[in-house]
Amino acid sequence: MEHLSINDQPPPPPFPQGPGQPGPGMPPPGLLGGGRPPQPQQLPAQMFTTAAQLLDLTDKKLMVALRDGRKLTGILRSWDQFANLVLQQTKERIFVPPGTQSPTQTRGLYADVDRGLFVVRGENVLLMGEIDLDRDDDPPPGYDPADLELVQTLAKQKKAEEKAKEKRKIKKLSTIGFEGENVGEALL
Amino acid sequence: MSFFNFDQSRHNTAAPGFSQAHDPFASLANRDEEAEEIDFEDTYDGLGDQLDETDDAFNDDTFGGDTGEPGPVGKDFDFFGHTAKVANVIEEENVRFNRQQPAAKAPQPVAQPSAYTPIAGPSYNYFAQAPVRPARTGYEKYHEQPIEDLQVDAALWGVAPKKQPPPPAQPAVPSAPSGGRKMLSLEEVEAQMRAQAKAATPSPAPQHQPHQIPHEQAYLYQHQAQNQPQAHFQAGVVEPLYHQPQGHPMTILQRPHSKPPTPAQPSSQPPAIQQHQQPAVPQQPTQILQNPNRLSGDAAKIGLPVHPTPPSGPQSAHQGHRQQGSLPRQPPMILHPAQLAQLSEEEKAAYLEQEAKRAKRNHKIFQMSRDNGIMTPQDKNFITRIQLQQLVAATGNPNEHGTDESLAEDFYYQVHSQIQAGHRQHPSQPLNQFAQTYLFQTGSRQGGMRRHNRGPENHMQRMEQQVQRAVEAAKNKPKNKQLVIEGSLGKISFSNAKTPKPLLNIKRNDSASDVKKAPHPVNGRDKKDELRALELVYTTLMKMEDHERNMPMAPAEDDQEALAKVFAWSNEGQALNEQLWKALRVQDHDQPGRIHPFMALLSYSKGKKAIPRIFRHTNHEQRITIFTRIVVNLDQLDVVREAQVTTDDIQFNAAMRENIELFSAAIVTTLFTFMNELGLDLVAAILGLVCTRNVDVIAKSRIGASMLTMILSRAELIKHNGGGSEQDWRSWDMTYTQFFNILEPTLPYIFPGSIATDQDTYVWQLLAAIGIGASPDQQQRLVIAVKDRVMDTVSLAKTLPPALAADRLQNVNLFMRSIGLDVELLQ
Amino acid sequence: MNARHFSSVVQHILTSSSFFKTLIDHEVTVELKNDIQIRGVLKSVDQFLNIKLDNIQVVEELKYPHLSAVKNVFIRGSVVRYVHLPQESVDIQLLEDATRREAANQATKAKQG
Repeated sequence: MEHLSINDQPPPPPFPQGPGQPGPGMPPPGLLGGGRPPQPQQLPAQMFTTAAQLLDLTDKKLMVALRDGRKLTGILRSWDQFANLVLQQTKERIFVPPGTQSPTQTRGLYADVDRGLFVVRGENVLLMGEIDLDRDDDPPPGYDPADLELVQTLAKQKKAEEKAKEKRKIKKLSTIGFEGENVGEALL
Repeated sequence: MSFFNFDQSRHNTAAPGFSQAHDPFASLANRDEEAEEIDFEDTYDGLGDQLDETDDAFNDDTFGGDTGEPGPVGKDFDFFGHTAKVANVIEEENVRFNRQQPAAKAPQPVAQPSAYTPIAGPSYNYFAQAPVRPARTGYEKYHEQPIEDLQVDAALWGVAPKKQPPPPAQPAVPSAPSGGRKMLSLEEVEAQMRAQAKAATPSPAPQHQPHQIPHEQAYLYQHQAQNQPQAHFQAGVVEPLYHQPQGHPMTILQRPHSKPPTPAQPSSQPPAIQQHQQPAVPQQPTQILQNPNRLSGDAAKIGLPVHPTPPSGPQSAHQGHRQQGSLPRQPPMILHPAQLAQLSEEEKAAYLEQEAKRAKRNHKIFQMSRDNGIMTPQDKNFITRIQLQQLVAATGNPNEHGTDESLAEDFYYQVHSQIQAGHRQHPSQPLNQFAQTYLFQTGSRQGGMRRHNRGPENHMQRMEQQVQRAVEAAKNKPKNKQLVIEGSLGKISFSNAKTPKPLLNIKRNDSASDVKKAPHPVNGRDKKDELRALELVYTTLMKMEDHERNMPMAPAEDDQEALAKVFAWSNEGQALNEQLWKALRVQDHDQPGRIHPFMALLSYSKGKKAIPRIFRHTNHEQRITIFTRIVVNLDQLDVVREAQVTTDDIQFNAAMRENIELFSAAIVTTLFTFMNELGLDLVAAILGLVCTRNVDVIAKSRIGASMLTMILSRAELIKHNGGGSEQDWRSWDMTYTQFFNILEPTLPYIFPGSIATDQDTYVWQLLAAIGIGASPDQQQRLVIAVKDRVMDTVSLAKTLPPALAADRLQNVNLFMRSIGLDVELLQ
Repeated sequence: MNARHFSSVVQHILTSSSFFKTLIDHEVTVELKNDIQIRGVLKSVDQFLNIKLDNIQVVEELKYPHLSAVKNVFIRGSVVRYVHLPQESVDIQLLEDATRREAANQATKAKQG
């Protein structure tokens, strides 16, 4: 049987037809022959691979957010199909949001820690993005650089607070029958 | 082949002047991290000193070097008479080759020629690469054990091989031996010079190639891009990797940057100026990222000092990351210090600031670029292929477009893109079957969103034309005491992009009781059963649509086999039609107290949406049966029964409003189109059927009123056109009178809401349609029935702003004129 | 069609990227499981529903300082909660039919296998 593909000339719409004409059954006249409409441009399959997505991030300076809340910056040197990553000159940036040190603290603080070469297992990556090198050195809006030890201490304190809060929340939720989708895992 | 007679095997690729990328920021470099830096002198083996430099005298002439060059080299000599004859071919071949062989691979060191056989083809790559010699290419690990070519059978991807034109004939130039990449033959040099002399068609140096796409394919892209400019991924479209043995798939995967090819920098400019200029030249940022021609980390560690080299040479090292900055891409072009002086203070400051920013960024990029390419193109290629294999395994060949199999896999995208391409590019182009199927529906369903759609004529347009014809007919008989039908059919407005209907509405508290209720039929209805029946309708419809596409060729008279095919096809269509008919259950008997099974389908939005498609695949008798079924059961419809108007200004809830809109767009429109094929006898019969139902309930809903308007106005149109036998008209008049008598008591109550509402246009249209066919006595009764509303609207109009007042009066006048009056008489 | 079958049909339509291909170059908003919402131009989706967005804008960006200098993002599919799509770029009826077709395909394959 002749196999008409999607590109073949369509038959004239069978509806409406003159009164009394059968719908299906007989081929409408003028169906066969005629030009083919152009095939619309199709996107190639390899555009839809992890590899294609990571390709133009290679050798770029990236910010990588991990599932445990850590924020790394580094140069992406290599990767694989699982989005496992090799990061060079990695730095971890620790943020302390406003209000952590004291309720009156209006601006956040941050500090960087040199980490060196990182191999990150893909499943731990939340997201990563290319850093605009022109904005790279500017402190994030609302944040100021601060002493590393101070930032680390505050961050630790903040994390403990949040952990306790989360724990209370999960406990409360579980009493009314919720099994949280990420129980026990803090997504930051 | 050694042009300068030095011993290639002993040539130190790390020797100064051959290997280093230029670092203009060397002095700025923060070298903290390089604690273990090794002194150059400690490791330098001195081989460079053994080089015979004397034969280098003509290097610059040969390679177009620019240091100490007094002026541009003349290009009008011909060392080799034959070359001229083939110059064009060489040029073409050269461009083609360079695109196939992106710069990433192009400059291979002379020192290891044999190692590249798996990847390197004959080289015509004689662009200004001479001053750059990679210290390390990234391919070293492949040397000892040349890797197998990872080529996958192109057929597996089902892509372009068939599209691939045969490669251009090899030019009459002796190909350089495989791997002899650096040295150019005299003919090649000459050809290049000729090519460059042609200012009109400069062959861009690889470093400036914005699209590293094989030549033919680049053409293909352009071609496609013309057809489909909205596709932004054009450069990624064709997949040279599977049929270009030496091609770099990764380069084509890179997103294209729609920057025009920039001709090579004229080499005659002083270096300082060039340096200023370069940042303004759009570069292909990704190219460098894959360019093995770089200073690798290892090379840096073994103590290569960073030598400033002429900037026109290794631009690569510090221009790659342009993409990663956000500075304006085209800063003011300053070519000469004098220009800077002319700028105002403010401009100067801005310029300098930008320059500083750019310098800073470039420095960062340079520092990062040292380890670029650790992941080689092969690595990337390899992983991409792994993933493609997985894709193929999971979903079939994703690149096989247009076949039935891929259609099954990729139905949404393929039809969607057909529809999109259909209306954006070629409004007049015939759409394929599927696109038509959906476009007809989307045209009416989403008219609000697709108003720009100039696709094929759809039902709505036909209806408008129909109305216009009626208006014309009425205009030609102004004395006739007949109604001007204009607008009497009611505007069928489309549901606009309203708030999407919530699909998930989980109420935690009563969810338990819902679950218990579900299996039992509610009000004698089994929702699950109805939805299942509806799915069967859709499945059958889709089979019919497929079947229609597979229609065999028209057979020749005596071709028994072909005739048999047509017969079989036709039989199959008949069987599907019967299956559809059965699934619709139109002819099931009405059971008192229970909604008819066909009408139950119409209470679901997908049931409503199916009607236009069903009408495409049913015959005339079946359509009449469906029409009759709908009319007979009009008062069972939720959009009629549950949407009764009252004198209060109540708004139906969003779901009901949406239902009404959808019913109008999908069903009333379809029925209207179909009705235009019907003769007066059938129209009268349909009105007769209406009379057997709850006319008051029908008339007190928007959908019901629209249906009545449709029926009455069709009869008027037939009258205008002189159709219908005398007997038909007698029967019509009788039916009309019966209808009028039933409806009369309800007339004052068919208006939606109080006088303040402006939603009553459709009622005036119905009244006009009634008035136009009424006898003088009936007209009198009609006026009495709605007199209050008319008077109230007229007096209300006096208090409204002129535009609004005009609208309201126009509505009333539609009715007034149908009975030979005018609102002006009342004012 | 039971729930499991249904989910496999939907998954197929999504991961075969047929659906997302039509949304390339449209602006979408991706909401992550940690409540970050990122709006940007959809550039690519792979079979794990990893998403690449260009020209991103973070909703409530002051809360997420680590994204302040980021221009485009690769988002791991497993952390995506919702993708908000522009309504006008989804053809619901066509999508419904695509789903029906896929369900039929899978049913056929199940019979054969």
